[in-house]
Amino acid sequence: MNDTAFVSTGQVGRSLPRVEARAKVTGTAEYIHNFRLPGMLIGKICRSTVPHGRIRHIDTSAAAAIPGVYAIVTGEDIRKIIPDPYYGPAFHDQPILALDKVRFVGEPVAVALAADPHIAENAARAITVEYDELPAVYDEVEAVTATAYVHDVLKPAGTFADLKHLVGRRQTNVALDFHLRRGDVEAEFAAADHVFAHEFRTQQVMHTPLEPFVSVAEAANGAVTIHTASQNPSFVRVEIARLLGLKENRVRVRTAFLGGGFGGKLYIKLEALVTALTLIAQRPVKVSLTMEEQFFTITRHPCTFRIKSAVTKDGRVTARKCEVYYNGGAYADIGPRVAQKSGFAAAGPYDIANVHIDSFETYTNRPPAGALRGFGTPQLVWAYESHTDLIARALSLDPVEFRRRNLLRDGRPQATGTVMRDAPLAAVLERAAAAIGWGQPFDRGSGPVKRGRGIAIGFKASISPTASVAIVNLSGDGSCTLYCGTVDMGQGSTTAMAQIAADCLGIEAETVRVIAADTDVTPYDMGTLGSRSTYHMGLAIQRAAADAKAKLAALAAELGVPEGTNLPIAELFRRKYGAQAGNIIGTGSFMPSHKSPDPQTGQTDDATPYWMSAATGCEVEVDTETGRFRILRLVNVADCGTAINPRIVETQLTGATVMQLGFTVYEGMEFTDGQLRNPSFAEYKIPGIRDMPARLEGEIVTSRQGGGPFGAKGVGESGTYAVSPAIANAIHDAVGVRISALPITAEKVYRALREAAGNPLPED
Amino acid sequence: MTPFELVEPASLGEALALLDPDDPAVRPIGGGTALMLMMKAGFFEPRRLVSLRGLGPGITGINEGADGALDIGAMVRLGQLERSPVIRRAAPVIAETLVTHSNVRVRNVATIGGNLAHGDPHMDLPPVLIALGAEVVAASPSGERRIAVENLVESYLETALGGDELITSLHIPSQRNRRAAYIKVTARSADDWPALGVAVSLAVENRAIRAPRIAIGAATETAMRLPKAEAALTGGASWRDTGREAAAEAPVIGDHHGSAAYKRVLVGVTVERALRRALAGVEIAG
Ligand SMILES: Cc1cc2nc3c(=O)[nH]c(=O)nc-3n(C[C@H](O)[C@H](O)[C@H](O)COP(=O)(O)OP(=O)(O)OC[C@H]3O[C@@H](n4cnc5c(N)ncnc54)[C@H](O)[C@@H]3O)c2cc1C
Repeated sequence: MNDTAFVSTGQVGRSLPRVEARAKVTGTAEYIHNFRLPGMLIGKICRSTVPHGRIRHIDTSAAAAIPGVYAIVTGEDIRKIIPDPYYGPAFHDQPILALDKVRFVGEPVAVALAADPHIAENAARAITVEYDELPAVYDEVEAVTATAYVHDVLKPAGTFADLKHLVGRRQTNVALDFHLRRGDVEAEFAAADHVFAHEFRTQQVMHTPLEPFVSVAEAANGAVTIHTASQNPSFVRVEIARLLGLKENRVRVRTAFLGGGFGGKLYIKLEALVTALTLIAQRPVKVSLTMEEQFFTITRHPCTFRIKSAVTKDGRVTARKCEVYYNGGAYADIGPRVAQKSGFAAAGPYDIANVHIDSFETYTNRPPAGALRGFGTPQLVWAYESHTDLIARALSLDPVEFRRRNLLRDGRPQATGTVMRDAPLAAVLERAAAAIGWGQPFDRGSGPVKRGRGIAIGFKASISPTASVAIVNLSGDGSCTLYCGTVDMGQGSTTAMAQIAADCLGIEAETVRVIAADTDVTPYDMGTLGSRSTYHMGLAIQRAAADAKAKLAALAAELGVPEGTNLPIAELFRRKYGAQAGNIIGTGSFMPSHKSPDPQTGQTDDATPYWMSAATGCEVEVDTETGRFRILRLVNVADCGTAINPRIVETQLTGATVMQLGFTVYEGMEFTDGQLRNPSFAEYKIPGIRDMPARLEGEIVTSRQGGGPFGAKGVGESGTYAVSPAIANAIHDAVGVRISALPITAEKVYRALREAAGNPLPED
Repeated sequence: MTPFELVEPASLGEALALLDPDDPAVRPIGGGTALMLMMKAGFFEPRRLVSLRGLGPGITGINEGADGALDIGAMVRLGQLERSPVIRRAAPVIAETLVTHSNVRVRNVATIGGNLAHGDPHMDLPPVLIALGAEVVAASPSGERRIAVENLVESYLETALGGDELITSLHIPSQRNRRAAYIKVTARSADDWPALGVAVSLAVENRAIRAPRIAIGAATETAMRLPKAEAALTGGASWRDTGREAAAEAPVIGDHHGSAAYKRVLVGVTVERALRRALAGVEIAG
């Protein structure tokens, strides 16, 4: 079937207000955070105080003696009921509770269970653990050569064929190394007019959803039900079934609305823990983390990126070498996929004949890192767009013109060899430049205050291959219920999916009821991640709707109703069943084609079903006496194909921009010897309303994604790509200094100014 | 958090009797915004909290004397101060300071008594009140005394108050004929605790600066005056040189917000700018 054969009936492209808006503002929307079961126990976690150590002894006696404590559970208790209690999407490396060793400060070691959360909390504090400390490693570059090993042996999950070569590897902290080779960079460097090399770093930050991680489990009659704030219930079901040795149909995983996810609530977080606890306690168990415990759950990878380019005197980049080190923390989570699937785009959206990429996922003794709105891409764009700007300035080329000359055009192969299609990079760049007034004179400031402008562009490949399945159910009265596992965590997917289904069926989007992910009811979906749902689930819904329509047509034919009739659906059912009765169930599934990259060269002609791109323009004002700066304007221009709901697209763009703004100028987890020094929101600040740039804008360019539902593709992450380098480039434009490590603080800018003036500020 | 006793006495005498100087787990509570953070983090586990909110109008009112002096009850909320027409007229710098203080939720709950008794260095109001020459009125079973705000906090989270002593009100002398300004510098988001706060207050007579008070907070262990900078200014030093004097004099310490070296730079620049702001539109001789 040809997916683009659908002609819109007008539901797609409407800025329909979110269908759940009323429920949310009146407090009736369901969140697992508020979910309770009769007889439920609360679990509070006792966490490791050392970054790396062998557990010598856990003393639970004082905690267990506290009145009201139901039980104290350790990793060894869990091992008795789950013989191999290790989980993870790429590696089975993470124990449900620490076993034998701890690998980061904050790792869960034991749980206190009580009906009263205050008693559980006190009991968790009363557990004492003795450790034999081990040498630790924290830095992603040092991890590659360090002799302190976070894991004794690598344990890739069997599900990924391309990780098989890592099985059983010892004495390494490299969880995955991805290599891409195209042309001959060394020969080009030797012959080049100019060679530029830089190193850029990003810090560890976290998702900070306003609803922290929360899961509830109950077990009865050989089956488990998990109520959880999860972005991928299907994965949770498969993984819990594997851990317990159950069939999938004995595990039910359901969600409600999520109070934010951003990639944090993917894979297993608390689900295995609450499952083990309910099996031990034989009562329902809930674990809901505090805002602060999120620091010890999942984060964004810190990254060191060494980048080197050969450039001709007329400004053509002819070779680029990228060495990317992602700091994955103590457990791999989805990190190996970040290193690989983002790594292959590390050279940027440029047409470069010779490319050499080494991308490493490393284990360290820090909190684990996984997916965070961009899946490793913002770290890459930070480096290659800072580098690109430095080259342009060194060659006295206009930064936009330099990018224009090197940009990948449709029909040209990207570094993997996959040919770019429907990636309007040039339109995105030009629109961002025009929006910020690039090339036009502007007020450059006066006295100690200087102004500057910066631009940056980034792109990302959709992670592939992943599958989605959808069910469209037409009831006896003709009303439509959509069963789709896409999780609405605030991004507006319920509304967008209703619009897609409604458009295909020719009904009003408001009338479609969307059932939240519940594996007993909704079919398989790989997960709400990587800006994949609009495209993948959107296509599955289109196919399900087409299936339902075909069945309706068959029913009409069976009843002798002429083709193309305007008879209401309810009337067809009435004629068939003699009453308001019956159903028509349409099903559809989608999985794109894909070809794995060659393990030696990273080459494949089918790396991804689609590319997403965004450019940011920034105007900044810098106070040279203090280094303090103010962002006057931030414009993000993205390509998302057809906007299913233009208003939601715009808020996704500005929301992502603000999130990345926090990661660029405020946020950072600060460590000393593996201890987090700022584990509270008093010392880890996210942007507030008064931090908004004076002008904050989100725009899309006109485009159409071939193969996408109504020509659409994803947009949830695009606003994050290019924000950080656009800000650094604008600061450079204003005051001539370059910040190469995030976050960009006033003190760093001030120190750089003093350094440039030949009068460096003393360390203290 | 463990359960604890929350008492709401109806009189000051009762409140003082409920405090226990020998038990650090018994404390007064104003708005509870600082206490709750410490309780959540497990730094403080109260046995009893003595709420002052039942103590009547004396502790919740704002009064202006005939001479323009202000008496502010300890239970006055920061948001009340921010919006008070009396404060906006008699000591506008306080209202201006509160606009960038924490957020509206905290301001509507936090009290001036709790603010001053907290003793955290990263606060906005202490340097402002020091610059204004304010005093707290403290009551204990042995009577009432006045403590200058600059002498109230002795070191990190340690105040001059006894374990059975309460702040009942704040006294601010008349600010007629004086001008003041406060500049808050944050190192991270705008609603952050200050990395540095600089407050200045002074009079101008015959185009000359008289009786300046320059106070800083957040960058030092406690909020404090900078007497050498004040003397330099009185002696005719330029704003820039006064700032330099302040930077040299202040015992600045490094923390999450920035290194000591950087904060010394901020002190110099911010003192200069605070003077410029306080004296905007005023002609000074020399
Ligand atoms: C999110 C947040 C952001 C903040 N941001 C800022 C900021 O930007 N700038 C800033 O300056 N501050 C900031 N603060 C701190 C805030 O100013 C204080 O928490 C607040 O002023 C304390 O007042 P309270 O009435 O809530 O005190 P409480 O928490 O009730 O008490 C604080 C302390 O004072 C004692 N106490 C209370 N009342 C009395 C009394 N009458 N006599 C004697 N002792 C008493 C208590 O026992 C306790 O030790 C912030 C706080 C929060 C929670």
